[in-house]
Amino acid sequence: MAEAPALLQVRRLTRRFGGLVAVSGLDMSVYPGEILGLIGPNGAGKSTSFAMMAGAIEPSAGEIFFEGQSLSGLPTHAFAARGIVRTFQHNKPFDSMSIEENVMVGMHTHVPVSMWQVVLGTAQAKAHEKQAREQARHWIDFVGLGEYAHADVQTLSFGQGRLLEIARGLAAKPKLMLFDEPAAGLTAAECLRLADIIRGIAAQGIAVLLIEHDMPFLMALAQRVVVLNFGEKIAEGTPTQVQADPAVVAAYLGQVKVDHA
Amino acid sequence: MKRSGLWLLALVLLSALAFGLGSYQNDVYRKLLLWITLALGYNFLFGIAGQVAFSHFSFYGLGAYSVVIGITYFGWPLPVALLASVVFCVAVALAVAIPATRLEGFYLALATLAFAQLFIVLLNEGGQITGGTGGLASYRLPDIAGYRIQGPAYTVVIVVLMLSTLAVLWRLDRSHFGRACRAARDNPEAAAAMGVDVRRTRIVAYTLTSALAGLAGMVYAFVDNTVNPTIFGLENVFLLLFMIIIGGIGRAAGAVVGAILLYLLPFVLSPLIGHHHALVFGLVMVLVVLFQPKGLMGLWDAWRDRSRSVAPGTGPVPAKGLPHG
Repeated sequence: MAEAPALLQVRRLTRRFGGLVAVSGLDMSVYPGEILGLIGPNGAGKSTSFAMMAGAIEPSAGEIFFEGQSLSGLPTHAFAARGIVRTFQHNKPFDSMSIEENVMVGMHTHVPVSMWQVVLGTAQAKAHEKQAREQARHWIDFVGLGEYAHADVQTLSFGQGRLLEIARGLAAKPKLMLFDEPAAGLTAAECLRLADIIRGIAAQGIAVLLIEHDMPFLMALAQRVVVLNFGEKIAEGTPTQVQADPAVVAAYLGQVKVDHA
Repeated sequence: MKRSGLWLLALVLLSALAFGLGSYQNDVYRKLLLWITLALGYNFLFGIAGQVAFSHFSFYGLGAYSVVIGITYFGWPLPVALLASVVFCVAVALAVAIPATRLEGFYLALATLAFAQLFIVLLNEGGQITGGTGGLASYRLPDIAGYRIQGPAYTVVIVVLMLSTLAVLWRLDRSHFGRACRAARDNPEAAAAMGVDVRRTRIVAYTLTSALAGLAGMVYAFVDNTVNPTIFGLENVFLLLFMIIIGGIGRAAGAVVGAILLYLLPFVLSPLIGHHHALVFGLVMVLVVLFQPKGLMGLWDAWRDRSRSVAPGTGPVPAKGLPHG
């Protein structure tokens, strides 16, 4: 893993909210095709780190590099264009659209035709629309929502809504996909299916970063784990390594084991 | 091919109608077509892009006034005046949109209301250029290539305007741009995460629909051959809002139905209740908002779904649980 250059590189990343330092001097990397878990107890700064990597909030200090280029000062929408796409913990579908149209919005940064071509109804505009529909179908089938492609978003269950978020993200042809607690609110069967889908995404060479509270789910899925506590990285390694790390056990895993007992 | 045939058929039929009507009916017909044109643009802005803006009639007025001022005050030839008016409308729309689209919902509504009021004040105080409260009159459409376009022939111009507006907005609605507009309205945070530049999308939607309203105003200027401030006041933008809400917000067909209904209703009602039709409109609005928020198009959908699901097993299947396939 380490021989390939990092896709995403986080250097001395810091975020303050007033007097509170939510994330402090975080260094970490994400490599192509890996599944990386970012964990930590409540308030450890994982959501803040996630939001900075997704371009939703700006760092107070430090920098994020993607494919060697700094992402500093870029607006949120530019992250998707670079190849960084996220899902939301609380599903955020476009309610007025069908499943298919939701996924088509994901292709926004790959539209080869202009508004003028659309207005004039050129052959390219029509061809693109047809092609976009086919691609959307591909991703809808990939996550297993095929039979609902033309349904309204409101008819989906919570678990299906999560799958829609993933299909929509994949339609953006990401190089890095960020999952914000993807297992939250899912049934055990849905979690198994989700894990398969995430492995399938990584198998396509897409880097996956997830923050997750469900430890059994995450430890079975991630190849590497970064552990945060009080805004700082306290451990990094394979799931087995971090679970054995005394600092991690003290800060976090011990507490979780008690919860699950 | 089939689609373009339909557009052509609509053009021929709607144009032919103009030649079968008398001059009074032609006047009513022209204004109906203009209301439909305005409602289509407003539906895109308000219903699809979700921007609560009240400046649509101001741009209608801006287009009308600027083309008339171009040909009378400046003495420009018609094509120059038209082009200058389009550029002017786009420039003003950008000047309003760039600061205003930072604002959402309520604040955008307030900013555009203020703009609409300011516009009326400027028209009233414009002295010789705008003709003040009396507006501008005693001008007419310059001859085009030696032809004087009037009567039903000018109605055909309005038919072309309405159909072009419909075609442009119809295509945009069913494109990546339309989806970006809806996405930015439904969930701006998710839209941005998917790479939609929410602010730019809003500015483009506002400028485009405002320019279309301006274009309609340029055509309107030669319908009555007079423009005055009262036509472009706030009262009419609220009527436009009623039209798209009663028809079915976000739907082009709803805008057409709503415009036809609310424009023609006073003709039916005034022999019965005089000028109190505004009361009826208000009542209908309240009922629609309370009981049928999707408007007449919503009723139509419900009727269609019901007649479809008469055959057993063909009704929509409710989605439950996660598919395991």
